[in-house]
Amino acid sequence: MGKGQRAINAYKSTEYIEQPRDKDGLLIGRKSADPFKLVPESSSLLLQQKEQAGTVAAAAPVAAKAPESSARESGGEDAAHELAAVPTFILVTTYLSFLMLIVFAHMRDFFGKMFHPEEYTQLRVQNGYAPIVSDFESLWVRRLYGRIRDCFNRPITGVAGGRVSLLERYSMDFNRSFQFTGRLNNVLNLASYNYLGFAQSEGPCADKVEEAMREGGITQGSTRSEVGCTRLLADTEDMVARFVGAEAAIIVSMGYATNALNIPTLASKGSLIISDELNHSSLVAGARLSGAAIHVFRHNNVRDLEKVLRRSIAQGQPRTHRPWKKILVIVEGLYSMEGEFCNLPEIIELRRRYKFHLFVDEAHSIGALGKRGRGICDHFGVDPREVDVLMGTFTKSFGATGGYIAGSRALIDHLRVNSLSAVYAEAMSVPVLAQVSSSMRMIMGEDREHALEGQQRLDQLALNSRYFAQGLKNLGFMTLGNPGSPVVPLLLFNPAKIPAFSRECLRRNVAVVVVSYPATPIITGRVRFCISASHTREDLDYALEQISEIGDLLMLKFHKGDVSAGANSKAIEYAAKMD
Amino acid sequence: MDSVASVANLAAGTSPVAAMAGEEASHGLVRTAWDFSFRVVLRYIKSSYKDDPFRTFLEACLIGFIIWYMAKRKYNIGTNEIVLTEKEIDELVDEWKPEPLVAPLTEFERETLERAVLVDGPNGTKVRLVSGSSSKSVLNFASYNFLGFVDSEEVGKRAVETLRKYGVGTCGPPGFYGTLDVHINLEKQLAAFVGHSAAILYSQAFATTLSVIPCFSKRNDIIVADEGVNFAVQQAIFLARSKVYWYKHNDMADLERVLGDVNKQLSRRGKNALPRKFIVTEGLFQNTGDIAPLDELVALKHRYKFRIILDESFSFGVLGKRGAGLTDHFNIDPHEVDLLIGALCYAMGASGGFCCADKDLVEHQRLSGAGYCFSASMPGILTVAAADAIQALEANPSGYLTSLRENTTLLRTLLERIPGLQVDGSEESPLIHIRLTPEAMVRMRRSGGAWTKNDIDRVLIEVTEEAQKDGVLLTRATYVDEHERILPNSSIRISVSCAHTRKEVEKCAHAIKSAVSRVTSKRR
Repeated sequence: MGKGQRAINAYKSTEYIEQPRDKDGLLIGRKSADPFKLVPESSSLLLQQKEQAGTVAAAAPVAAKAPESSARESGGEDAAHELAAVPTFILVTTYLSFLMLIVFAHMRDFFGKMFHPEEYTQLRVQNGYAPIVSDFESLWVRRLYGRIRDCFNRPITGVAGGRVSLLERYSMDFNRSFQFTGRLNNVLNLASYNYLGFAQSEGPCADKVEEAMREGGITQGSTRSEVGCTRLLADTEDMVARFVGAEAAIIVSMGYATNALNIPTLASKGSLIISDELNHSSLVAGARLSGAAIHVFRHNNVRDLEKVLRRSIAQGQPRTHRPWKKILVIVEGLYSMEGEFCNLPEIIELRRRYKFHLFVDEAHSIGALGKRGRGICDHFGVDPREVDVLMGTFTKSFGATGGYIAGSRALIDHLRVNSLSAVYAEAMSVPVLAQVSSSMRMIMGEDREHALEGQQRLDQLALNSRYFAQGLKNLGFMTLGNPGSPVVPLLLFNPAKIPAFSRECLRRNVAVVVVSYPATPIITGRVRFCISASHTREDLDYALEQISEIGDLLMLKFHKGDVSAGANSKAIEYAAKMD
Repeated sequence: MDSVASVANLAAGTSPVAAMAGEEASHGLVRTAWDFSFRVVLRYIKSSYKDDPFRTFLEACLIGFIIWYMAKRKYNIGTNEIVLTEKEIDELVDEWKPEPLVAPLTEFERETLERAVLVDGPNGTKVRLVSGSSSKSVLNFASYNFLGFVDSEEVGKRAVETLRKYGVGTCGPPGFYGTLDVHINLEKQLAAFVGHSAAILYSQAFATTLSVIPCFSKRNDIIVADEGVNFAVQQAIFLARSKVYWYKHNDMADLERVLGDVNKQLSRRGKNALPRKFIVTEGLFQNTGDIAPLDELVALKHRYKFRIILDESFSFGVLGKRGAGLTDHFNIDPHEVDLLIGALCYAMGASGGFCCADKDLVEHQRLSGAGYCFSASMPGILTVAAADAIQALEANPSGYLTSLRENTTLLRTLLERIPGLQVDGSEESPLIHIRLTPEAMVRMRRSGGAWTKNDIDRVLIEVTEEAQKDGVLLTRATYVDEHERILPNSSIRISVSCAHTRKEVEKCAHAIKSAVSRVTSKRR
């Protein structure tokens, strides 16, 4: 709780010091660009980190000034190059480990069924009923995921802010069930999508939420199209439209449903959806529900997208060769597992030529990217009207929940009458709406009492992200993603290192998210850090220090030999030539 | 044997050479090896031909076939791609005229949009409507506020307290530090209240159904579903991509026929691949207000070895002595329902949904339920609101349910007396669908022309607007017409609440009566 308070204090506008800015609103000069100056110098820093911090802080504004060029240079193919630089030894051991795990899983099943058949009754036909989960389908869950279940679904209490309180738990039966000790474990939170630090139970936003609940109750008990449309909802929708730079917007009460229930209104049989291969599950569900044909292009590869487009338009619908009614290209602004930005400017170039409709899912990028926090369009300096459908969620940067779709007035009017979410799903609840509107107002600088706080949070997030990612790189870790992304994935590769990393982090009071197959390709199991504006430099330095130790322990510093980033980039260049 | 020896000699002869001169030697070695293998093969063919000439012929044919097969032009079934030059493709790209992203609104859609109701303040039994700059307070018979929890003091009292502890958003899916202690508590509370083994929370009611059904029913599995199920169930079934059979709405004889047919077909297929089989239906049908006969369903389930997926979104909190839903209503062990889907956003006045099932099935959803895995968990405030609502209902079930039933019966009897009005649904359903009787419709149109769906909807909208003038808020049941499998008949859907007083119910019936008479007396 105390730590949470500290994070809040960091935003009190009284503590904010007016700093010189250039015309883009960016802080000028090295010294003033350091928002950590409030932190006393005597904080626990690694000696090595101290030196790096200086260079990073100096480098950050430069990088911030040229996000376009840097992002384009090191765009989508960055990951591929990084992978090419993976030591063969790691690749081989990773595949071998998985092979061994699967062989062992089958062996354990084989002997288990022989000696403890009663534990496997669920997997057999019994009493004329087929097993509800098939043996083969559940092998992964039972034998692999089951062993590391303690790394997931960790329950928390309170706010998932810069620090979070975990309910301490233990298992006496190999993670089949958990018991709580009743103790709380207050840890540094590098896991929650709390980019701008709006997950707060105190402060101006929470006050607004309280006020709104006193005035408007909690929920509507109806859908948006019937009697669930309140003045608060309508006003917030207008604000969202203004925020993203669109004519109008519609709000949906759940992020997953925003995609799953609105794409079917935009495409139907006879239309084609072209989707990035790493698109989120909700986009896949929406595309499948729409009944449209679905083509997939290689992740963030604009060349491949163009190839798919040319072929699709030339060939038309399968068998009949009739032209497609329309083509909807669906991409994400920031890929949350990769930390990569989509190559929006080039896709918009393609849009002009190939006349498709563009759907950008800004679930992670809205609020977190761009100088003004307006998402991927702001980041690349693209006119938002070039994107037909701007979708985003409030879960991440706004500390709320739910999502929105913004676009032309014709689109939103159509959705208000015909969208499945508007007609069949519950309307957004009052506290969530109040949280969205108050945090958004703050980011836009329209909240007079806290006029500068929003911009300060944006700057701090940008700096934190770069500082942390650079710190990891300098330590020799292999990270993914574009510079400036608040999501920083760090590659772990070997399956055994996945739970090990998570458990070691927890032991050192850091909460992290580890992901592996099937959420990622089988080889690139990773840990994903989500940076927040509510992290102080102390927090990040502590995390880097601990991660560095864990990295030594788990032999994760693949670039350790490369003293500087120069050698590293040489390796990448070399890999590129090999291609 | 002698050839092997000679080769060995040869090799021995060349090996010193190999040691002396690099490349030439290796060339020599390759040649020797080739020579050796050629001789062996030749010898083999010779001897085998001597032993069995027919076999040699067969082998020769086989080799010939393999060569022919490999050399044959490959083709794929299904792709009839036309080979085009780049220039031709460019032309096609230039020529292609896509449809606009969305069609322009039809006249009727524009009307609905313009007439949409805008609410100011809490959406309770009384609600303030805004139109332009004026606002007026009306009685609310449109929101699903069956137990009055939407604006209840009891549910709201801990909201601020919760806000001050948990904030608003959880900033993550349940798997990644988005599981709050209040979620775990509510799951336990729900399981205990319903009487099932375990429960899992989803953050939106629609997404609950959309996740649960595809999570268990996969390709090749079998779903037998009621034709009258609500839209979420229809979509979930579509998403599951299983083999679907529909039976007539609430017709158990038809269901039995379908189940028998399915089993007959399966027995013809043999026992090896037994698919999962599900009966999918709804407890209290949102689109009609009917109640599914669970006792018969359970009997059929056992007879034909199907599992039941029951959507209790609207029956949860409404039916039964304790308000625990359809199983409570029929006094049937909830374990008979394999997957019980419920909603917290209707009767409970909170948000989200849940699924009650055996522990294993619930745990399976924590990894495979798309809406659980891939979306943020429910905000603490809404979770606590739901918990409080259930606690209040548990503490005093009759306090809520008796007056709900009284109000329902009263309104039904009053509505049934109105001439020209057809009242649908079960006696006990607080969801009441009303429509104009066909006779009244015929009488209304002197010209005798056919009624289009939009005409009927317009008449119903008129009725709601007339009622609104008398201070009663009603809503036409809205659907997205082209997405519904079978579009339900147009109706006005009334939701009775236990928080309505007897007088308010009477006022509602009276308003409807005068609205109907005013609208039907207009000649078109």
